[in-house]
Amino acid sequence: MNNQEQKFSDEFINAFVDDQLTPEEKAQVYARLAGDEMLSRQICELRKTRDLVQLAYKQPPLPARGMATLSAGRKVGLCLAAGLMLLIGGVGGWFLHQPPGQAIAVAQKTPADDTPAKVLFHVSDGRADRLKNALDDVEELLKHYRRSNQTARVEVVANGEGLGLLLAGISPYAERVQQMQRDYHSLTFVACQNTIERYQQELGFTVKLLPGVVTIDSGVAQIMRRQHQGWAYIQG
Amino acid sequence: MKRLIALSMMALLSLGFGAGASHAENYGKQKVVYHINFDEEKRLKAALGNIQNHITAVGKDNLDLRVVMHGPGVDLLKIANKNPDFQDKISNLKRQGVRFNVCNNTLVGRKIDYKNDLYDVSKEDIVPSGVAEVAALQAQGFSYVKP
Repeated sequence: MNNQEQKFSDEFINAFVDDQLTPEEKAQVYARLAGDEMLSRQICELRKTRDLVQLAYKQPPLPARGMATLSAGRKVGLCLAAGLMLLIGGVGGWFLHQPPGQAIAVAQKTPADDTPAKVLFHVSDGRADRLKNALDDVEELLKHYRRSNQTARVEVVANGEGLGLLLAGISPYAERVQQMQRDYHSLTFVACQNTIERYQQELGFTVKLLPGVVTIDSGVAQIMRRQHQGWAYIQG
Repeated sequence: MKRLIALSMMALLSLGFGAGASHAENYGKQKVVYHINFDEEKRLKAALGNIQNHITAVGKDNLDLRVVMHGPGVDLLKIANKNPDFQDKISNLKRQGVRFNVCNNTLVGRKIDYKNDLYDVSKEDIVPSGVAEVAALQAQGFSYVKP
């Protein structure tokens, strides 16, 4: 396949990273990703930037600390006043405090049923029976969502010994991985770039991913990102 | 009179600090799902130990703890069916409010008769899909633990 022949535009790739594409368009990108290292790296970079931007906005700047400009004497006074307020608040709160169960119920509201289920499966154990179990679980989950008409996104992130699942010529379940991708468009297999590079150094040859497999800079970082974004985490 | 006020303040404060030492003040309320999809007896036994330690640390009244078993993990209750030590541990955890949920897909797929093959399972303990349950609980604010 000649990658130069039909290069994706930057807008298209950005839309992919921002998850704005239709499933068909996404499938095109996924299909190309495995064989196109440049594209894979470009998307990795974009994702990284986007996540950094999101993280940056998650932590708004702290207000300037006014205390620094106060004299020492006033600081002590302020501390005493604050301590007194705390005391009053604490004692008052002790009288007023409600059964904690109620507060919990409000704080942790169940999301509406129409929000898509988002699940990340982590595969880091390379033993064949474990890999089979993990694939069984993933398929079971996807079937469940299909049966119950629930929209879902499922990512299988492979790192460490688990990477073998996604390597051409090595994976004991290559055919099944591809079949599952064909059966479920909501499913993405993601390989950790750090592990790929380590493998290549140790083995001394270029590893090839199964068609449709995406790479991510770091599997562990992806797990953290997804959990920040509200995804469920399941260890295979 | 001043002395009286001071004394009653002290009493109140000590009460406040007394509450501070309780479990709730240490860890707050927790919702946790333990994911069990493995069948090694040693690891299962360790998992039951983890759960007990978790309850001891947080306090049973502060904890909504679910154990979700699927695939090979259902063996926990299969082993328990013939192992009095496992039975004791599981019953003890249940008395402290732990719920043990079994995956229906696994029961069907492995042709398990939950009334005869598994220890102390009733209809309410069965969930349609173990994996989906683990995911759904997390969407409801449960933390995930793989022991």
